[in-house]
Amino acid sequence: MNARIILALVRKDIQLFFKDRFFAFITVFGLLVYIAIFFLLPNSVDETLELAIYAPDLPEELFTELASEGLVWHQYDYEEDIRLAIQAGNEQVGLVFPGDTMKKIATGEKVAARLYFAAALPVEFQQAYTLLIEELGFMLAGKPLNLEVEEKIIGPDRAGQQVTPRRRMLPMLAIFILMTETLGLASLITNEIESGTLRALLVTPLRVGGLFLSKGITGVSLAFGQVVLLLAVTGGLIEQPLLVLVTVLLGGLLVAAIGFLISSVARDIMSVMGWGILGMVLLAIPAFNVLIPGLVSNWIKVLPSYYLVDTIYRVTNLGAGWAEVAQNLWILLAASSLLFALGMYTLSRRLQ
Amino acid sequence: MTTNAIEVENLTYQYGELVAVDHISFEVREGEILGFLGPNGAGKSTTVKMLTGQLMPRSGKAFVLGTDVTRYPKQVQAQIGICFEITNLYEKMSAIENLKLFARLFGMQDFDAEALLQRVGLGGRGRDLVERYSKGMKQRLMVARALVNRPSILFLDEPTDGLDPVSSEAIRNIILEERERGATVFLTTHDMHEADKLADRVAFINQGKIVALDSPHALKQRYGKRALKAEVALPDGSLVSREILLDHQNTAQVVSKLFSEEQVVTLHSEEATLEDIFIHLTGRGLA
Repeated sequence: MNARIILALVRKDIQLFFKDRFFAFITVFGLLVYIAIFFLLPNSVDETLELAIYAPDLPEELFTELASEGLVWHQYDYEEDIRLAIQAGNEQVGLVFPGDTMKKIATGEKVAARLYFAAALPVEFQQAYTLLIEELGFMLAGKPLNLEVEEKIIGPDRAGQQVTPRRRMLPMLAIFILMTETLGLASLITNEIESGTLRALLVTPLRVGGLFLSKGITGVSLAFGQVVLLLAVTGGLIEQPLLVLVTVLLGGLLVAAIGFLISSVARDIMSVMGWGILGMVLLAIPAFNVLIPGLVSNWIKVLPSYYLVDTIYRVTNLGAGWAEVAQNLWILLAASSLLFALGMYTLSRRLQ
Repeated sequence: MTTNAIEVENLTYQYGELVAVDHISFEVREGEILGFLGPNGAGKSTTVKMLTGQLMPRSGKAFVLGTDVTRYPKQVQAQIGICFEITNLYEKMSAIENLKLFARLFGMQDFDAEALLQRVGLGGRGRDLVERYSKGMKQRLMVARALVNRPSILFLDEPTDGLDPVSSEAIRNIILEERERGATVFLTTHDMHEADKLADRVAFINQGKIVALDSPHALKQRYGKRALKAEVALPDGSLVSREILLDHQNTAQVVSKLFSEEQVVTLHSEEATLEDIFIHLTGRGLA
């Protein structure tokens, strides 16, 4: 083999690759997006423990000392504020020491502390926090404290029925099925544009609006049907079936919209795959976060799939009802509708 | 009284700086076959797209079946049939499924796909997937699809381009049958012979402008050369051509002399072809 010839061929192939404007663009764009995703993920292992606390009686020096050991305290003025913060998802753990704690320590009386946990907090974390409180008591008294810790779960208590990895996986499987249908819809439309069949349809009494409606129904039905089948088989429809169906329907609308967007820029099946995989990676990030809690930060809330994943997870695994996920559903509806309108606009421009 | 199926006035379209169709005006009568002739890039397809509501003209008017196609394209599209130059069938579906889909879009009741396929010479092949069809069969199916709604105007864009003689002849027969039925046919082609055979009138379009519009016979009379062409054998056995102009004052004597003094092998009239006329008018061929 002549190395020079091989090199010349490789150079030619690379040249041709980048002459294809789509591949040149998707290569650079995809690279940038994947790099951005990498840097958005946490760069370090978080070894600090965060705790909301209401302890009016404890000395400030104690908090300073604990902070130096990797504990982060958020002090609250009322016990009720801690409960509300946990309910809102702003805090995971809350600790309450009554106002007479120091006095009881001094007299050797039993101190009754209360620990609040968010329902989703894994049991291992709950145990770690309980040990922490006992250590705290030792620091205060200089000896094992006569302490009674009352643990309370805010939200549905999952003790003994923690969410299994299989159940955590469910939203991710749903997202992948939905995105697969997105690719299917996008390739269907792209193929129709490129083969000219859409042109043939549009010189009949069929209007562009009717065409979009039919394609939208196709996309939503395929996505919805398959995810519903998955959830039915895996028991995902046992809790709040109507709520789950509405959520999946909105998810179907979301992926149909993305299918429209992809097909308005894709020229062939390869470009559908290029755009589709990029979309799939982005939309699947919230599902990874469910699988591995704490993987990514709050920025994932800018992804519309977050509201789909979060709703499916909370409804099917944590027993959430309409009221708890209403905000998610509204955001999902708004985002899906907006993207659907954008998809119709870009696609109609391509059809012109 | 003859009415017009298509009326076009100062129709114009530009692709950026390029003027594809430049202020053209013409009419097509009901029941007429109009051959719309021109080389590639002359503006034929752009004109068809505007007349069928696929493109919005930059200026001018286009009335199809009395309806302003720029304002009511769907109303027009419900009454016309279009056979595209490029095959755009659902290849993974059968011919019958293709036709029934379009029949449903046009709201055709009691549509008989088999009968239509029989008419275009595809009887018995209706259940085959279109991807298994030959080019000629696909083109016949394209024509059949354009006939699904029994259109008042049939737009055919290069319907016989690249087809075998049998398929071409089948499509030509369908075009003539449609005219018999009363349909108007707008035939876009760069095949002069086909236009000559089929069209009642032909329009020559070049660089976006219509340079001539009349019946083939009238065009030949106007632009052709009236002459006889004789092939005569010389004493050494070789053949030479002789041209005799018919409009010359001593034509009769020339013909008489030819037959008395030379050995005439063949004799035929030298009529101009549409292609000759096109070249005469535009200075370029149709290729």
